[in-house]
Amino acid sequence: MNTNLKISNVSKIYPGCIANDNISLEFKSGKIYALLGENGAGKSTLVKILSGVIIPDKGEIFLNNKILKLKSPIDAKKKKIGMVFQHFNLFETLSVFENLIIDSDENRENLHEKIQSIMKKYNFSIDLDIPVLNLSAGQKQKVEIIRCLIRNPEVLIMDEPTSVLTEQETSELFSSLRQFSMEGILIIYITHKLKEVMSLCDEVAVMRKGKLVSVSKIVNEKIETLANKMVGQNLKTVRKSISNERSSEKLIKISNLSFSSEDPFETNLVNINFEVNRGECLGIAGISGNGQSELFQILSGEIISDKNSIEFNSNFIGNLNPQERREYLMAFSPEDRLEQAAIPQMKIFENVALNNFKSSNFFNNGLINENKIKEHAKKIISDFNVNTDNIELKSQFLSGGNLQKLIIGRELITSPDLLICFNPTWGLDVGAINYIHKTLIKINDQNKSIILISTDTDELLKLSDKISVIHKGKLSKIMNSDEVTSEKLGILMGGGEID
Amino acid sequence: MEYLWEEEKLIKIVKRDQPSRAIFFLTPVLAIFLTLVAGGLIFYILGFKPFEALKFFFIVPIADMYGFSELLLKATPLCLIAIGLSFCFKSNNWNIGAEGQLTFGAIISGGVALLFYDQEGFYILPIVILAGAIGGMLYASIPAILKTYFNTNEILVSLMLVYVSKLILDYLVVGPWSNPEGFNFPETRQFSDSARLPLLVEGLRIHAGIFLALAAVVISWFIFYKTYLGFQMKVSGFSLKTAKYAGYKGKKMIILVFLISGACAGLAGVGEITGPIGQLHREVSPDYGFTAIIVAFLGRLNPVGIIFASLVVAITYLGAETAQIFMQIPKYTGQVFQGMILFFLLASDYLLFFKIKFIGSKK
Repeated sequence: MNTNLKISNVSKIYPGCIANDNISLEFKSGKIYALLGENGAGKSTLVKILSGVIIPDKGEIFLNNKILKLKSPIDAKKKKIGMVFQHFNLFETLSVFENLIIDSDENRENLHEKIQSIMKKYNFSIDLDIPVLNLSAGQKQKVEIIRCLIRNPEVLIMDEPTSVLTEQETSELFSSLRQFSMEGILIIYITHKLKEVMSLCDEVAVMRKGKLVSVSKIVNEKIETLANKMVGQNLKTVRKSISNERSSEKLIKISNLSFSSEDPFETNLVNINFEVNRGECLGIAGISGNGQSELFQILSGEIISDKNSIEFNSNFIGNLNPQERREYLMAFSPEDRLEQAAIPQMKIFENVALNNFKSSNFFNNGLINENKIKEHAKKIISDFNVNTDNIELKSQFLSGGNLQKLIIGRELITSPDLLICFNPTWGLDVGAINYIHKTLIKINDQNKSIILISTDTDELLKLSDKISVIHKGKLSKIMNSDEVTSEKLGILMGGGEID
Repeated sequence: MEYLWEEEKLIKIVKRDQPSRAIFFLTPVLAIFLTLVAGGLIFYILGFKPFEALKFFFIVPIADMYGFSELLLKATPLCLIAIGLSFCFKSNNWNIGAEGQLTFGAIISGGVALLFYDQEGFYILPIVILAGAIGGMLYASIPAILKTYFNTNEILVSLMLVYVSKLILDYLVVGPWSNPEGFNFPETRQFSDSARLPLLVEGLRIHAGIFLALAAVVISWFIFYKTYLGFQMKVSGFSLKTAKYAGYKGKKMIILVFLISGACAGLAGVGEITGPIGQLHREVSPDYGFTAIIVAFLGRLNPVGIIFASLVVAITYLGAETAQIFMQIPKYTGQVFQGMILFFLLASDYLLFFKIKFIGSKK
């Protein structure tokens, strides 16, 4: 196959924003192209245009020098353009095979045979008869890929494919993509992860604020140069001033903490022990799904444990619920902003009232004290730079970054002694990440402590004084962050041992 | 987000940026309208004149004072139960067994009323009312406790308990509690006048139970929108994970909302037996407990909305009876209408999240 896909002067304008401003690009088969950009750079719009979901206001697309008019996603499929979206379009309760036959024109037997041969060729092993809900994220993605491959695509577009994958699954995906590319499928890979671009792709197009910034060969680029193009300024990394005068006063001590769950989708924790001193940040690294969520829930009190397993400020609090722990000056920022830390359908000030303890006086004698809550919400918005002045706004209208500032602000404004946060910058743009990082460093400087559970190793290296790695529910030994390298972390996260 | 599947289409479905507040309260009205249209169509197919049939169904029954009093009489238990149910539904607890809680409330209060069958005294009625509320609470506590401590599904447990309560009632009115002077009819003695809810207007059946319903409306409005409990219910309704993270005592709340819900259903049961009937018999309720589920959702779990919804749904009970008398249409048509209201309500809820745009043909 010798495929050539050309985008010529494509524009798409939405009220108040130019999503694509006169974009021209050319792709040829045999190579893997990266489309790189921050959230809101216009990558998704461009991809939706290529897959027929959106019709551009201006400009044309050519496939093999013939003009391509896409009126719907079905059109795109017929023209052999396959697309795997970041969020899967699968029916959870139907079986894998049923999901695949839905939009197929072939009869059962032929399709079955075809799927089997695809799976054999690319070394996928998925049980076709089990419901999709029993698959891991990586397997679901494979189902989506198979759905594209059934139609022998000439172009395969992957939209942020690794955001839900483990490292293992990511490397499997990469080798599949390389194989597809060698077989002549043109691959367009959309991402904001620089390392992936460097390791996977041959050429990279960078977009920023709706415009195409540059097109270049990977061999001519470095992570730093790409980052600069993507962000549009020199990356100002916050760095913690490492102080040798940290107090050695113990704040929290976890001893012999174990947890076993009846739910097969949860991870058991095995004999966790650690201490955090005042003014210190303990980072807990690990690939997602290795017990981080369970550990967070135990530390926050959503899962109650043995009373003596958690000693905080000389009190044993393992059996207290989150609200009771807040009275002891602990604060929590969970991973899931939209489904746990905040309620998108509720107003900003109502979300503020979720972190409630006695001295806040949000609720007196069982009645809501709305004025008090609103006053508090206004203070958070101004102290933590949340970009709105309307506390009556439903929080679903805040961007991810602003919502996270609101949540962190809500947790910190009461000046707790310990903040426990789980992936605090997940999915945020660089500006918001920097703000959150600065805030976390600041609270360490005020002699308050942090437990930072994160899957982002750069973040951990930047913010932590001490680092440990969680793998299959076990915590590695705790290392000082200046003796940790990303290589060491990588080995521990993969379940290996270091000296 | 805009999805243009095909340019030639005249109608476009567009996702709303945010659910519209006006639509939120308009869709129940739309649902009622569609129910009338579909109902008229059914009557037409059955060979009746649709407008005449609808008139018998929805206008004739409430055209006079007596009819209006009957409307309020039917709306009272519906409103009371629906208010109670909205405590459960708002907080993500699916109590489907209000009919059983009503029946058990009626059994307990009826039992107490029977104890005093030959006595008079101002103290009797309050005791009887209280007994009904307690009976409903006891019965609602079963699914609540099983849910909190044994992780059972409250939908199944509460639903199945409905049939248990009806069989208990059956046994009592046929057996131990049957009227010794009643020639073996399946009913108890008549309660003494002191155990009866007073009638409001001479000659009409509307009784003081309506004040219980109105009190429930006011109290529930206050709890929903002004109290910490209401706030916790709202949070739990949106996300149980968030409620857990906030540290709300989930088990306590489950039991509390079930108790409130059971008390309301129990009080509705009291109203039925101590109001117009004045004794226990086999059928204390024409499925008010189930119909109130429709009322609660038609009223958008909003106390004021529930008042209107209970009036609308109450008409279907009356209409079914008039239609049966004047047109020989089976009275089960009433249930068909109730079902259609729920069906169309769920269907029109689609409009909460999507809007339909009519556009010119692009050729």
